[in-house]
Amino acid sequence: MNNLDVISLNIWQILISLANLAILFFLFKRFLFKPVKEILAKRESEIQAEYDKAEKATDEANEIKASWEEKMKTADDKADEIIKNAVEKADRRSEVMLYESREKAESIIRKAKAEAERDKRDAQETIKQEIVGVSAAISEKIIGREINMDDHKDLIDSFIDNMEEA
Amino acid sequence: MTILLLILTILPLVCSIAIKVAFIPASEGIAISGAHIFFTIDLPFGGLPITESQVNSWAVLLSLFFLCLFLTHGMKTKNIGVRQIIAEFIVEKVEGLVRSSMGEMFMGFGPFIAAIMGLSAMTSLQSLLGLYPATSDLNVVSGWAILVFILITYYKMKAGPLYYLKGFTEPIPVMTPMNIIGEIATPVSMALRHYGNVISGFVISILIGTALSGASSLIFGWLPGALGGYLLRIGLPAIFSIYFDLFSGCLQAFIFAMLTMNYVSSAFPADEYFRRKALKKARLEAKNIK
Repeated sequence: MNNLDVISLNIWQILISLANLAILFFLFKRFLFKPVKEILAKRESEIQAEYDKAEKATDEANEIKASWEEKMKTADDKADEIIKNAVEKADRRSEVMLYESREKAESIIRKAKAEAERDKRDAQETIKQEIVGVSAAISEKIIGREINMDDHKDLIDSFIDNMEEA
Repeated sequence: MTILLLILTILPLVCSIAIKVAFIPASEGIAISGAHIFFTIDLPFGGLPITESQVNSWAVLLSLFFLCLFLTHGMKTKNIGVRQIIAEFIVEKVEGLVRSSMGEMFMGFGPFIAAIMGLSAMTSLQSLLGLYPATSDLNVVSGWAILVFILITYYKMKAGPLYYLKGFTEPIPVMTPMNIIGEIATPVSMALRHYGNVISGFVISILIGTALSGASSLIFGWLPGALGGYLLRIGLPAIFSIYFDLFSGCLQAFIFAMLTMNYVSSAFPADEYFRRKALKKARLEAKNIK
């Protein structure tokens, strides 16, 4: 049998075994750890890039939202202003109309009053004329008799009494 | 490509089985001996015998190399496959182990620890294939232990050779011989621990196999043919083999790696090293200002 002893030491065998471990160390370093670490770093950076992108998109969306909200607010303000203007205009117009109509009504009333006054004066005038006429007739009647002051006075009084009664 | 690499991973192990079958005569009975010597190259200091353990560890080396290529080829950042998951798992586990037991400064030791674990575990597990486990050859584990010893000494020298030599005379100068013995005992104990565990498992496996063979021919000897001699040897040795080869092999690999990490990281005189570094930096700055 061509075997080693169970416990045997040989410097060359030890060196070869040492070299084997060293070689395996370099193999593992080059062919297992390096590529795996590279791929891990790459994945990390890719994930970071994705996160950055997502953050950017969120920021942009927020910006757009803010601008829209701003716009909506100004639109509300504008609508308020328009309504206010319209209401003001309408108020003014209605006031004018009210004023005009009151004026018209007043002028109508004034005209009516003036007419009534004139009618009244006309009536008084005619009454006076009639009174004069009647008094002249009565005077003519009385002239035929002697002029008596007392009679005349009585006549006029009775006449006015009658008038009042009538 | 993937299948080719997988075949290349398995091929070295198959080759070493073929070499064993072709060149090594089967031994009957109890024969506990070292590795088979194929031939010897003439060199000083006793020549270099090319043995079974050498061939087997080279087979493991090749197999692990192709396994790395198999696991890492065609890696992607998205939709990763099972191979990449395994590769990342191995790398992250080893790095986590190194980080937790050695610290952030020694992260370069990741591949070394992985190499120790892979080589040790795979060579021990070769006995499951019926091969001679290279770790039961004292030369092989001695080589690893000496490499670890070199690393330990290198890290002890980081704070200067004088500081390293001064370390032997502490706490009192009388302790110097003890310290030197303790220094040398580290690689010796590491090598012998690993070697002893594996070879004891190997020896026990052979003893169990032989004992079961004897018991079988005693109990079932009346069966026709050679069947009686083999009946108890079917299955039963495998159960013992689970402990002595599988469990013990992996455990020894783990222990060897843990001891390496502990020795190397505790050998590094961090305080002294950083003190010297700061001093050097300050001196350099002073020079620049001048």
